[in-house]
Amino acid sequence: MTQVPPPFDPELAAALELIKDVVHPGLTLDEIDAVRQGPGIEMLAQLDLTAGGFFEVEDRTVPGPENAPEISLLICRPAAPSTAGPRPVVYHVHGGGLIIGNNRVGVDVPLAWAQALDAVVVSVEYRLAPEHPYPAQIEDVYAGLLWTAEHAEELGADPERIVVAGASAGGGLSAALALLTRDRKGPRLIGQVLMCPMLDDRNDTPSTYQMAGLGVWDRTANETGWTALLGEERGGPGVSPYAAPARAQDLTGLPPAFLDVGSAETFRDETVAYASRIWQAGGVAELHVWPGGFHGFDGFAPQATLSQSARAAHLDWLRRLLAQ
Amino acid sequence: MAHDGRMKELAGRLTALDPDAGAAVRVIAYFDRLAETRAGLEALVRGAAVLAGCPARLVDAGRRVRVRVEPDGARKDTEAPPDADWPCAALEPGGAPALWLERAGSEPSVVDAVILERAAGAIRLVLDRTRGRAPASPADDPALVETLLDATVPEPARLHAARRLGIDPADTAVGIRALAPGDGRPRILPARAGGRPADAELPAGRLGVGPAVPVLDLPDSWAAARTALRFTADGSPHDPGPRVVYADDLGGIALLADLVAPGAEPPPDVRALEAAAGAMPGLLATLHAVAATPSQRAAAAEINVHHSTLQDRLTQAEHLLGWPLRTPQGRLRLQLALTMRHLARS
Repeated sequence: MTQVPPPFDPELAAALELIKDVVHPGLTLDEIDAVRQGPGIEMLAQLDLTAGGFFEVEDRTVPGPENAPEISLLICRPAAPSTAGPRPVVYHVHGGGLIIGNNRVGVDVPLAWAQALDAVVVSVEYRLAPEHPYPAQIEDVYAGLLWTAEHAEELGADPERIVVAGASAGGGLSAALALLTRDRKGPRLIGQVLMCPMLDDRNDTPSTYQMAGLGVWDRTANETGWTALLGEERGGPGVSPYAAPARAQDLTGLPPAFLDVGSAETFRDETVAYASRIWQAGGVAELHVWPGGFHGFDGFAPQATLSQSARAAHLDWLRRLLAQ
Repeated sequence: MAHDGRMKELAGRLTALDPDAGAAVRVIAYFDRLAETRAGLEALVRGAAVLAGCPARLVDAGRRVRVRVEPDGARKDTEAPPDADWPCAALEPGGAPALWLERAGSEPSVVDAVILERAAGAIRLVLDRTRGRAPASPADDPALVETLLDATVPEPARLHAARRLGIDPADTAVGIRALAPGDGRPRILPARAGGRPADAELPAGRLGVGPAVPVLDLPDSWAAARTALRFTADGSPHDPGPRVVYADDLGGIALLADLVAPGAEPPPDVRALEAAAGAMPGLLATLHAVAATPSQRAAAAEINVHHSTLQDRLTQAEHLLGWPLRTPQGRLRLQLALTMRHLARS
């Protein structure tokens, strides 16, 4: 197995120069507190949630899972009245390796879609590991979806047109939510957007080895995140597909999926494998592998050409999905 | 993980940098990395726009390159001319501006200057690599040209350099002229049968042109071109005179160049000219017209004044200078004074 990593895209390599002092690839369990308090991932949080007055913004506290605390939903609705009836919903699950972040992180991406598509964005807060191990995260995410579907009318939204979307850990949780709603016969999702998703706790694909020590989230950081979630169970035989969707035996009956990932990152191989398995199960998936992209490149360097292409591909897929 | 507030602005996204020393270091690292990975022109212009937080624009008319990128990374070209107030950089020392940061109304910051310098350097490398040097004439390889102009370089090396530049040293029909621009590096120009080049073939600005010679005599043509350069003027009201001077045309006047040392105390007639020019606006242009045209009527037409106005001005000038301007001897003295004024310039 070759250990030679694919080269980073030139613009993205230069972007890494600017962020390398703040974001380093090999996060360990000891560093979780420092990262939570530091500037790192918080900087990926959108500052102006109204996007210049386009959205009305509200934080709603809603019931959590059974016997668990309430959860917080960030709800951003277009301020103008809808001209075309109830709006579609982008149900957003933030990233942060399952251990850091909040429902502001990365929300600029679905907000940009919602501006273009006249949609409502609901971004869910979930409990973080290691304080809250599996299944706190996915159950919080599921509870938030239940509330959103049940209260869609109140949001001017269409409960039959909810798309789940997330990047990194949020991508993994989005994939898990698609599996869980299928199996529990919960609210029907019409699509899943899995951006550089964190899918596989085994952490042993060629790309995890190949990218060790490089980019912003390497094999060490990945082990940290999964161990925080699963403890000693990580990598073992009994891990649930709702924790690590790559573990799912059955990928039939899932909503259409959009998956993308950089070629120069840890999650490349598990993302490609997940897309392939959806096709093998007779499902619908669109996969983009961005050459030379590091983990989360379009969030860290949205101006780069490759980021612009990636973001255009997201929006393009959603347009096609929602036009159906 | 750093916990530094300033870093926060840098790292969250690639946003405009604060003007501080750390930012300059980051700019350098950013463009070094782009150059290392052989990034293209658009990536380099985008880097300038993103780091500066304003649109950046590259225009190289000679190579037909035009790239404009907004700070959000979007490419948006325009045909509109750049604003003279924007911070800008040339792609090579002494060249015309080619890269702009579209930021008006404030002094360029240190970071802007570093962005321009690093981006321009990297852009030059890409252009040389991908588009070739433009215009594609032999005169464009500085090292080879300098070899040809240096009499201390052994003859075989000079002949080799000539062949590398596409010049056949055995072709006696082709003479080569050395060109000495006032601003920029030496150039050479092949001249068929001693003919003169068209204006378009010559670089802009002040220029001394050496005689057309065989390859091995180019050091002499170069020396003559540099002498001719001293007789040029930029053609402005404060510095009237020819922008291009051919060494061939100077004849015995060239001897004056050895008599007047650049930057030294000018001769008395030049000092008189400077004093008179200070006392009488437009005087230098008037005197140049009188010296450079065949008649006073032609001189009046040259500077767009009535004949009688010219006479009044000459009377006043004669009073200030202390010598007549309307006699053959007086006109010669005026020509010498105007010429020595150029030579005395450092």
